[in-house]
Amino acid sequence: MKVHKVSSQSQHDQRNATKRHSKNKWHKKIRSLDSTLLNTSSGTAKLEQQLAKREKPTVKRLKKYAKPVTFIPENSCAKEGKVEATSVTFAHVHTNGGTELDDSSASVDSQEWSEYANSVLQNGMESSTLSDTDQQKEDDLQFHAHLDHTHNRAVLVMKQDQVLCFRGKCLLTCLYGHVEVLGFTIEEGQQPYPLFSPPSHCPLTIKAFGNNFGGSSKNKKEGLLEAKAIIRKFFSSEPSKKLMSEVDSDSCVVLLEPLDTPLTRFLSSFSELAEIFGLNSKEIKSQAAIYNPVLSAVGVTALRGPCAQGLVMSPSYREAISSLLSAWAGEFDRCPVILVCGGKSVGKSTFNRHLLNSLLNHTVSVEFLECDLGQTEFTPPGCLSLCTVTEPLLGPPFTHMRDPKHMVYYGQADCQADVDRYLESIKSLWRHVSGESPVIINTMGWIKGHGFQILVDLIRLLSVTHVVQLSYGNAPQCQLLTPEFLRTAHGWQTHPPTSTLTEEPASHLTIRSHIFLSVQSEFEGAGISGDMQYQRSNELRDLALLSYFSKLQSSEPGPIRPLHCFIPYQVPHSSVAIGVTHCEVAPNNILYVANASIVGLCCLSEKVVGRGGPVVLSQTPICQCVGLGVLRGVDMARGLYFLVSPVSPSVLRHVNCLLLGEISLPKVLLTKQHGIEGDLPYVTTDYSFEVQGAGKLHIYKGLIRPGFLKSND
Amino acid sequence: MKKKTTGKTRHVVAWMNKAEYEHVMEYLYSKEPALQKHALHRISAWKGRFGQSTPVAVESTADLVRCQVLDSTGQLEASDLVLLYGMALVRFVNLITERQQKKVARPLRRLAGKINIPEWVVNLRHDLTHRRLPSLKWCRKGCGFVLDWLHQEYWSRQMGSQLAEDWNSSSEEEDEEEIAKRHEIDLLSRQKEIEAHKKVRELLSSYEQEQFQTYEDLTKQGRQLDMWPDASADLSWILTQIKHFATEARNIFADVLMQDGFLIPTAEQLESLDIDPSEDSGDVFAPCLPRVVLHFWLPLLKVLNSSIFISLILDTLFAELMNEPSSHRTYYIASWISEILLCNSKSELKAQKRLKLSKERIFLNRLQFPWRNLISACVNAPCTATPFLLRQIFSDMDKPLPHDAQQNLLQLCSIYTQGYHGNSSPGPSDPAQPVYTLQNLQERLKRNAARNRDTHSSNHTPGSLQAPPTEELQEKLSTEAVQDRNSALRGSAWSVCTDKVPWKQYPLGKVPGQPEDPSCLMVESYSTFTVFDQQVEPDQLPQHHGNRSVSLQTRGASGSDGPLWTHSDLSKLKSGLKLF
Repeated sequence: MKVHKVSSQSQHDQRNATKRHSKNKWHKKIRSLDSTLLNTSSGTAKLEQQLAKREKPTVKRLKKYAKPVTFIPENSCAKEGKVEATSVTFAHVHTNGGTELDDSSASVDSQEWSEYANSVLQNGMESSTLSDTDQQKEDDLQFHAHLDHTHNRAVLVMKQDQVLCFRGKCLLTCLYGHVEVLGFTIEEGQQPYPLFSPPSHCPLTIKAFGNNFGGSSKNKKEGLLEAKAIIRKFFSSEPSKKLMSEVDSDSCVVLLEPLDTPLTRFLSSFSELAEIFGLNSKEIKSQAAIYNPVLSAVGVTALRGPCAQGLVMSPSYREAISSLLSAWAGEFDRCPVILVCGGKSVGKSTFNRHLLNSLLNHTVSVEFLECDLGQTEFTPPGCLSLCTVTEPLLGPPFTHMRDPKHMVYYGQADCQADVDRYLESIKSLWRHVSGESPVIINTMGWIKGHGFQILVDLIRLLSVTHVVQLSYGNAPQCQLLTPEFLRTAHGWQTHPPTSTLTEEPASHLTIRSHIFLSVQSEFEGAGISGDMQYQRSNELRDLALLSYFSKLQSSEPGPIRPLHCFIPYQVPHSSVAIGVTHCEVAPNNILYVANASIVGLCCLSEKVVGRGGPVVLSQTPICQCVGLGVLRGVDMARGLYFLVSPVSPSVLRHVNCLLLGEISLPKVLLTKQHGIEGDLPYVTTDYSFEVQGAGKLHIYKGLIRPGFLKSND
Repeated sequence: MKKKTTGKTRHVVAWMNKAEYEHVMEYLYSKEPALQKHALHRISAWKGRFGQSTPVAVESTADLVRCQVLDSTGQLEASDLVLLYGMALVRFVNLITERQQKKVARPLRRLAGKINIPEWVVNLRHDLTHRRLPSLKWCRKGCGFVLDWLHQEYWSRQMGSQLAEDWNSSSEEEDEEEIAKRHEIDLLSRQKEIEAHKKVRELLSSYEQEQFQTYEDLTKQGRQLDMWPDASADLSWILTQIKHFATEARNIFADVLMQDGFLIPTAEQLESLDIDPSEDSGDVFAPCLPRVVLHFWLPLLKVLNSSIFISLILDTLFAELMNEPSSHRTYYIASWISEILLCNSKSELKAQKRLKLSKERIFLNRLQFPWRNLISACVNAPCTATPFLLRQIFSDMDKPLPHDAQQNLLQLCSIYTQGYHGNSSPGPSDPAQPVYTLQNLQERLKRNAARNRDTHSSNHTPGSLQAPPTEELQEKLSTEAVQDRNSALRGSAWSVCTDKVPWKQYPLGKVPGQPEDPSCLMVESYSTFTVFDQQVEPDQLPQHHGNRSVSLQTRGASGSDGPLWTHSDLSKLKSGLKLF
């Protein structure tokens, strides 16, 4: 694969300008349409015909993709990519890149596209044709790395197409050639990227792609010299001959440095999380670790065998990614709005990350609308958010907590309790979508019953252009959300257009249809929620929260401070409203919920003025949330709340509402408070689970548990 | 890393302390509606804290007490109350027996019988769900019984001390998950440890092989033993691997080195090094490591030469010595201790520097040992060589003990070790000891203390090193930082807390001056706030706002006494109605 960067600024600007123009137009149309769609259920078959006339290319395409799981032969797709791409001057505008390849020909872009599309499809071929001899496999697992002791960093030379599948964490800089990690291409000259591969998720792989010299021996020689010179630069002493002999003109040279951030330091300060960047139990049992002292010195453990498969991409997966990429390449006259859905543990969020990274190879930013309350990508759980993403996601969610552009605190890890508030919150976020970059919508794994209705609503309300539905096994987990199905499906809030309206001459109304992509997940354990350590959903939620509060730690190395050691902010009870989102609490007892709890820091447009004492909200508002905090204490005498939060003071000043939810403080933050003498509030060693009724409500799921079967009979 | 198993598991609960729990229990069972209502309000807050993990017993008790409170008002009709009681009772029977259900659904009657719920309560539940509704009398009776049952089975047993002792041993419910998790972690760490042991053994064996090879080459060439060549390429490769691995698995290295065939050579190994294994009796009072053995291990020790590692090795050596090993092991252990002490001694280092004998030096710089600990470790592991080792320690201490103390200790030691032969273990009541009664006593106390400390520290060296110094934990903000933050907050109600409070002493949920009283967070007055800038349909809006509540009573659901909408309110509502 070859990626060219056309860094001619003017060209890029021009293109962007035209694109923006057209998009804005579209956007207005969307707006007006959506509101009408909502208020009056409208839209007709006739209208669709009109639409077909108007958007001929789109509709043509639509036919092609309309049927699920149609396999497009590899070459036709690539060819298509070429044809389409020639019509667009596509600029690689990822900001990180600084290098410019000098052999740019006239057909650079078309080549890029066809090759990219090809590569996406070919990757699958490689993994399926694993007929290598053992020797070769062994060879591929040899990682030639050298450690620079003075700076404690490692230079790794990778052969073309060599793959390093690993656990751990590191900072990766590409020195020569280029590598791909989870769909994102890192080239020489780009900034260092942090990689996190904890045992909670599928391990990351670094795949090497050398420089392509097109067979010219002279260029190859220069390349080789260049590569060697780069390696020398990174060692004070002469690097080992062994390493140098491994360098080839088409090999890749990457620099790996140990990664030490407030997050990693904070997490590893808890003994429960000591192995958070180690292997998972399955990998340890199958002895998948390759012992390499240089790599382990920088915090990386290479894997081998069946555990080292990395991301398993099925043909339909590749196809979906490549067609979504070409959707952004310009054949679509508005920005794609991609909704990704599917049952629990089917690989939605990994698909999202892969798609997002792939898009970031070609665009500056991608907008990400979070509709999954339980497993959020950028925020703590319980939050709905809209993020503008400019940096690739090279790790699981808890390693890249970001401040979203806009956020609403829902307060629970699922939306069943108040579906209307959930949908209204998403609508309020949708108003902030710029419409200038592609949008990815992450949805919940709740696809049964009302959960499915919500999906139907989201597709209608958010004018989705592409629906990616992931499923596993032989039968899909729910009805396929094809455009045909949407024509008659009932949502929670929206309903299909009634046929009586067909006769109305409503030419300004157009029902846009979406493109449906079905993806079959073929990785081992698809659809089964992880049950190993760090894989359970509650553990992941706790990790996300710990990660969020790790932002309090100072960025300079130093002691890890427990939350109670921070100097809090204070605010009078009467100046901020307080409310509970998930249950009814007697207002005079509200502080019993609030004390030592997580609060959503929200901004109401109305001024909050109390008359002494707390200001209790009568219902849960839908308002902007700027972050979370821990209400570390309440001063009853002076009427003050004490709050610890990583939110910056300039943002905190706008906060006038504290929302309490079911998202509770990770237990370790309460049970492990160093330096406290005496009892900890809300923590006891005397609670006995042996007593009848001491446990929580147990929902018997009727799963087959062989252990119980025997004891019964 | 070993997990600390000491101490009971800490659980997070919704009550701040035991007092609050007891306060609520007392009020719930007070039979006084006002107090019961107070308790119910507190439980509503507990539910807010617990979320989905509210204990079934707490929820059931609250539901039933709520029925009693409503019943006591006398405002509800009998059929209203039957429905209320009915729901509470059905939920209780279903939820409390749910835990007993296994794979095959079993009759509630049998499940209930197991936990001392009589059949008539179960029948009451059946009546309520799918037969004729029972009378109010039966409902009241059922409610009363169940509340008593809950009091007995849950409220008075929970948070008490009588059960707390061993409840950890057997598991129930959500702790099944926890225990499975803990089990998995244990299993994993054990597996990791085994892996690491294997790896270390492999590394050290390959090191030994390499060194034997070198040794053989040397003897073939008939060269002097002092002329060990510089590490070959292969050897240095092994050494770097060892070095990398040793930082993460220091303890394991020390353990493996202590096994037979490593630092303590086996008879075979000695033979191949041309040392007569029968000779190792040497001088048991002043053991000395054969030079070949030292040379053999020198490259490794040089690589691992950090003060942490060397102290660890010394600790492990002494700990090994305490186990009263065979005379062969004792000899080599003692001679290694002596060698390390010697190599690190002031005079030796100086002499070596002078002679530029860098080859034989383990240490480039003198390491500071925890001398007093060393002394206690040394006397804790008595063997024939103890006086010899003690003397070495004394001579090398930076702040030597007073001369007579040294003498006394030495004398004590030699008396103690004189009759020490092989396996005859010296009991604590050694007849030789009464001579030095007082010192002996002190010695023994010290020894016991040291032993405790030792066993503790040898198990948890990494842990104890990690233990963070609490002094630095408190966040300190410079006055500029506080000013910056406050100026960013200016104009808002927020500010940085500038009270001189040592926050590190106050856990989350506690502030200075907070009383232990379980009612300390009760709000005497509050105001209700309704947000109008919402897309909410009008019927969802509560009918009142801004009312002030002083008593324990919650706001009534009386819509009529709220103020009427003003014109601007209505327009706000209208604008909020737009859906998209």
